[in-house]
Amino acid sequence: MAGVLALVGSVVLLGVRPDILAAYHYNQYTVAATHLWVLGFLGSVAMGAMYQLVPVALETRLHSERLAAWHFVLHLVGVAGMVWMFWRWDLKQVGHFGSALAAGVALFLYNLGRTLRTVPRWNVVATGITAALAWLGLTVLAGLAIAAAKCTYESLETLPPGHWLRWPLIALQATAHWLGRFDPLAVMHAHAHLGGVGFFLMLIVAVSLKLLPMFALSELQSPRRAGAALGLLNLGLAALVVTLTGRSRFQFVAGGVLATGLILYGLELRAILRARQRRGLDWGLRHFLVALGLLAPTALLGLLLAWPGLPATLLTTQLETVYGWLGLAGVVSLTVLGFLYKIVPFQVWYHTYARHVGRFRVPALADLYSERLQKVSLGLVLAGVLGGALAAALASTGGVRVAVLVLALGLGVFVTNLGLMLRHFWRPRLEPLAPPRAAPASVSRT
Amino acid sequence: MKPLDETTVLDALRQVVDPELNCNLVDLGLVYSTEIRDGHVRVVMTLTTAGCPMHESLVEGVRTALRALDGVREVTVEVVWDPPWSPAMMTPEGRARLGLA
Repeated sequence: MAGVLALVGSVVLLGVRPDILAAYHYNQYTVAATHLWVLGFLGSVAMGAMYQLVPVALETRLHSERLAAWHFVLHLVGVAGMVWMFWRWDLKQVGHFGSALAAGVALFLYNLGRTLRTVPRWNVVATGITAALAWLGLTVLAGLAIAAAKCTYESLETLPPGHWLRWPLIALQATAHWLGRFDPLAVMHAHAHLGGVGFFLMLIVAVSLKLLPMFALSELQSPRRAGAALGLLNLGLAALVVTLTGRSRFQFVAGGVLATGLILYGLELRAILRARQRRGLDWGLRHFLVALGLLAPTALLGLLLAWPGLPATLLTTQLETVYGWLGLAGVVSLTVLGFLYKIVPFQVWYHTYARHVGRFRVPALADLYSERLQKVSLGLVLAGVLGGALAAALASTGGVRVAVLVLALGLGVFVTNLGLMLRHFWRPRLEPLAPPRAAPASVSRT
Repeated sequence: MKPLDETTVLDALRQVVDPELNCNLVDLGLVYSTEIRDGHVRVVMTLTTAGCPMHESLVEGVRTALRALDGVREVTVEVVWDPPWSPAMMTPEGRARLGLA
């Protein structure tokens, strides 16, 4: 719920300030809105879902629900404060709230790390999730370092010798000096890729290798190919972060390695879908497939932007915005919206109906929401994302407003569908069991 | 009163539906065997995937549905993973319900 509220807030910000997309992205409003979208919406939902999905996908139990609750509190305080302070461009306070967020992420990593240690059968999914967690830790550290690099440490002059704050401040100042050797824009791009590709995309790749076969009644077709895809993604990302930070001409090569990993991943997904037993796919899964469809143009655009010696013009800098928008608002957000159609109905069903199974006729998960609204919402959100990309490329504030309006309509339909699901908490639909029917026994007789 | 036999037990298990697939456990082919002895019903079953989030709910649903039958004094449910479930184990009714290939 916190994530959905943050998404609504992000869209409101885009409507109020369309220049967030239509102007060059290195400004306080774009940075604030991006963090609200990425940490507030995507981060909240992804990390919340991981507490539920990782134990399911890896057949184990979560180490501690109590730590998860503390993480949630620190996450909310951290994100709200960071976004507010980014908007005011008070980087010192961003660092303070970012530290609260980082403390929450540390709890998250510890909790899931302990959970992963109990996995009975280590597999490619567990490897991918571990990699995503490692990249998340690096993303947060890089973010804190970037904030530290933008601060001044004049209080070091006034603090008495031996004061407990001196050493942390000296460490922060040293970090700031070291990071000052790099181009701040390049460092910010590296930070964005650590989070966007390292955490979110890696997580999508890993979890989908378990959930897509599960929901489509299929199987992983080639663990070797899936492993190679993950390996190339990690290798390519590590190289990309280094080459981006150093503004190296080899970032195109690093991007090529990443793209090769994505191609292998795409081939594995295609094989899984071809081998599926369930012919019709539900619209939650179709959200994910549409998101994957957007991954191809996003990756191609990323490769184009990594082309050695590409000049920085109004068009190319706006294309950087389009790349980020398609990746985060398109690929990751559509995937998250699709998986919310799996997670929310399950939670509602579990808390409302699980105890009535065998006693009453309870609705199926798909009965909790409207498929028609799902289709309408997907169409509008997709139109909004594509329209936003076009408007950003053209640097058109009017175009961004129209696209955001369409996106907001799509999200409104999505929230309505969410309301239909949550209504079952208050108005459960229980029916008497159907009378037994005469049917031939079809199991082994003992 | 209906006699407590396998047909009665399977009919009761048809009342337990996997909410993700919207198909009952018998037609999904999740029930491997049933055994009835002096009011004690033993069910050997599986789930579509190990680590299924519905595991506890479905197993408890099986117990509840069987305890409601006349003559049942005790229910034992054993969840096994060998042989692993595959869609080939579904009944024609189940396959039709899911629109399987």
